[in-house]
Amino acid sequence: MLLPKFEYHEPKTLTEAGEILRAVGPDASILAGGTDLLVNMKRGKTAPKHVVCLSRIEELKKTAKEQEALTIGACLTVAGLREVEQVGADFKGVYEAAGSLGSPLIRNLATAGGNIVTARPAADLPPPLIAYGADIKLMKENGERILPLEEFFKGPGETAIEPGEILCSIVLKEPPLYSGGGYEKLGIRRSLEISVVNVAAFLALDGPSGAINEARIVLGAVAPRPIRSPSAEGALIGQEPDERLFQEAGQKAAEDARPIDDFRASAEYRREMVKTLTKRALKRAYEEAKVREWRRWK
Amino acid sequence: MKTLINLKINGREYEVAVEPTKTLVDLLRYDLGLTGTKKGCGTGECGSCTVIFNGKPVNSCLVLAIQARGAEILTIEGLKPAQGLHPIQQAFVDKGAVQCGFCTPGMILSASSLLKKNPNPSEPEIRKALSGNLCRCTGYQKIVEAVQSVGKDDERR
Repeated sequence: MLLPKFEYHEPKTLTEAGEILRAVGPDASILAGGTDLLVNMKRGKTAPKHVVCLSRIEELKKTAKEQEALTIGACLTVAGLREVEQVGADFKGVYEAAGSLGSPLIRNLATAGGNIVTARPAADLPPPLIAYGADIKLMKENGERILPLEEFFKGPGETAIEPGEILCSIVLKEPPLYSGGGYEKLGIRRSLEISVVNVAAFLALDGPSGAINEARIVLGAVAPRPIRSPSAEGALIGQEPDERLFQEAGQKAAEDARPIDDFRASAEYRREMVKTLTKRALKRAYEEAKVREWRRWK
Repeated sequence: MKTLINLKINGREYEVAVEPTKTLVDLLRYDLGLTGTKKGCGTGECGSCTVIFNGKPVNSCLVLAIQARGAEILTIEGLKPAQGLHPIQQAFVDKGAVQCGFCTPGMILSASSLLKKNPNPSEPEIRKALSGNLCRCTGYQKIVEAVQSVGKDDERR
């Protein structure tokens, strides 16, 4: 499989990247990890005249902790994301999702930002990132804007990104005390797999054994984009966390899902699995809340 | 238009002129004759083109050669010492972990990367580390046994 012809650009700074994108016009693609773009180019699905590679822009690979928020550079690899200590400690759902994306080889190339901008409905990172309430920072020559990740996705492959705009970072606010998150993915196999269904959950409690005061459930691969489940969240808030409640939330989440039949699974099966995965993701989130609390006192 | 790039492959400095459309696997195989790196699916699913890129195993079919400017690459040819075989290679021979051999270079490079980080991996850890490398002869059991058998205190690995 050969790549179609293109002109290659390799900016060293974000400013330079912005200038190049403006100069070459709309027929340009941004190359980050390449695990999606190069495959699509080889398969003839896209043939941009210009390819703007971001891999030399060091500022896009950095993570920074400031004002109780973790900023993750969009070009940090998925494997690199798992090596960020705070991701493992405070954002377990993201950590788990990053570990289930592609294969070890793919994770060394694929970037956190790439998994977002490609806007695949079954992508691994968006559901947990949305569950933790992540924002994204987009940059254009005339400035930057910050957007809740939840509002970024429009449909399969479609996002709110404007021509010439670059996703530069993901911002995660430090989760509150007595909170935790979890991610559950169902595939046919365990590696190099696109989710049949995936679910991310986030729970915040009033106190060590208090009621739930904040809940976010995000469903992947059961709608044109990752979606929240307002019914499940409504069922959880104000209640004491336990298995029966998580079961009920799973039921509600299944009602909010809008799955389709395709070659990977039937809509009916997907809806059934939303039930199970939501329950499991909630259990994980609750466990994580307890572990984080325990770690704080240790 | 070709661009001149410098990179280090298996400890040796190279200066090569590459078209932007050339992938790293094609540079290795067709321009430099390093055919130990295999080319399978071309889409990052089979792992036969695995190379160690700046210390990390990656699919070289998903990296443009031009992106490797200034990089350090290790291929199966570089893993093999001047005399004899690398301990992982030897283990693959001893355990009969090679059938058609097409996946072997990628399997060995992924395994070497695992053993560097984790000298004493469990079976699930080995299977996970090799999960981006497909063996269509399905000789996985022997491959896992070979990796497990590599001498724990072998300095050369």
